[in-house]
Amino acid sequence: MSTSLAEGSTPVADAEHGWIRYWPMLWPPIIATIIITTVWESITVYFDIPPYFIPSPSRIFEAFWAAPGTLLWHSGITLLEAIIGCIIGSFLGALLGTGFAYSSLLARGLLPFVIAANTIPVVAIAPIIILWFGHGIESKIAVTTFLCFFPLALNMMKGLQSYDRVIMDVFHVAAASPLQRFFKMRLPSALPYIFVGIKINVSFSIIGAIVAEFVQADRGLGFVIMTTYRNLNMPRLWAALAISALIGMVFFALVSLVERMVIPWHSSMRTES
Amino acid sequence: MSISVTKLSSNGVLRGGVSFRNLSVVFPGHVNHPPVQALDHVSLEVRPREFVSLIGPSGCGKSTMLRVISDLITPTGGIALVDGEPPRKARLARDIGFVFQDAALLEWRSILDNVLLPLEIAGVPARERESRSRELIELVGLNGFEAARPRQLSGGMRQRASIARALSTRPRVLLMDEPFGAVDQITRDRLNMELVQITEKTNATVLFVTHSISEAVLLSDRVVVMSPRPGRILSVIDINLPRPRSLATRDDPHYTELIKFGAAELERGFARNEH
Repeated sequence: MSTSLAEGSTPVADAEHGWIRYWPMLWPPIIATIIITTVWESITVYFDIPPYFIPSPSRIFEAFWAAPGTLLWHSGITLLEAIIGCIIGSFLGALLGTGFAYSSLLARGLLPFVIAANTIPVVAIAPIIILWFGHGIESKIAVTTFLCFFPLALNMMKGLQSYDRVIMDVFHVAAASPLQRFFKMRLPSALPYIFVGIKINVSFSIIGAIVAEFVQADRGLGFVIMTTYRNLNMPRLWAALAISALIGMVFFALVSLVERMVIPWHSSMRTES
Repeated sequence: MSISVTKLSSNGVLRGGVSFRNLSVVFPGHVNHPPVQALDHVSLEVRPREFVSLIGPSGCGKSTMLRVISDLITPTGGIALVDGEPPRKARLARDIGFVFQDAALLEWRSILDNVLLPLEIAGVPARERESRSRELIELVGLNGFEAARPRQLSGGMRQRASIARALSTRPRVLLMDEPFGAVDQITRDRLNMELVQITEKTNATVLFVTHSISEAVLLSDRVVVMSPRPGRILSVIDINLPRPRSLATRDDPHYTELIKFGAAELERGFARNEH
């Protein structure tokens, strides 16, 4: 045996479990949240800032608590649009990205259009998409899909091209089929890139859904923001903003969790001390 | 251990012979880069189960010879054969094993799953490929590390796993391209001794590319000294040291003589390179 050659220890599962393990990662944002809210609250009270200008955190919470069910129902609508659009857009983007990775002709022909379309502001394209897809939830999903298409197309292409050339030779010598190369080598190599794309899409999908609701809707967080603004019910508007931010955070955390489970081998997953 | 399988063709002849006949490889040039003659009319016959080392300065085409035999490169002139058949046929029959300088393990797979990868690609049933891989892991001295990830192992251990992977399909020909070029000297010496034992058990023909003349002499039946620009064979040295080779081989005065002779030949190759 040649255990002396081993650099690290043998693979043993982490001894530490449960919340204690995550405490070093959890306490800084918790403390920061407490400090920021306290300072914010104190400033608004001390300088007597009018609530329509900057409402205090307690005012925002009051606005939410006045009708928590309605706000949550609207949030649910937005979340639904965001998730469905994120899934469809990411999937279609990944599909085109795969095409780009395998055909340089396709990439050369279509990539300029993809990049150009990517720079179109969502506020400009949303009215057109709503015109096409109608006033219901479908048009909001379509706007979100549009936004979520590009990050995955670009990252999928890059990811599928990022494989190790020597490993490709290993697969060649082993007489692997193109499908085996894809599923056993190129796709796993692309996973870190795919997660980068999905994480971008988490934010994009919520922005896309809210902007689409802004243009035209009778429900959703974008609709709430629009109507509260017209009525100058600013604390309620801030509450809607807080919820959308919270949704984005939870969504992002979920994706990060899945990432940790799917690619624990990747260097980006190593915890730094 | 059931690894000691001698591959015989249907008429009972030993398999694993490799032929290079007038082999030429020219890499096409680009703008400002003239074409490179990597191999220029190289001929070499390697007998079944022979251990042949290819040694020479960078650019002498020694790695190119391995890449031709493994069907990674198509020669521009002449032919290369494995048991009288084109390399492509040997490759598709999974009769070629290749150990690269880089271990090139899949970091998302355990060591066991890395070793059994070629068998998985070949469609060997799960139970069979696993038991075969466990044998190989034992052969290369990695028992206990089946579940480890490549990242958790040292460079020497990763290269052991890569050797086990190359042997998994019981190839007739094992190609090794500076497999120990990136490990430290102490590990390298130990891996050399283990390679002696591994190749004796597997009965594969070995083509071994190296920069180290002592490594080449220790392991080989013949050492092929090459010179660069264009890549040619300068001389072929018979290593008539007794087998099995062991640590004692290094105390053999003839071993030192052969190294001196080989080093002088190698120097000739460098000298030709200078002007």
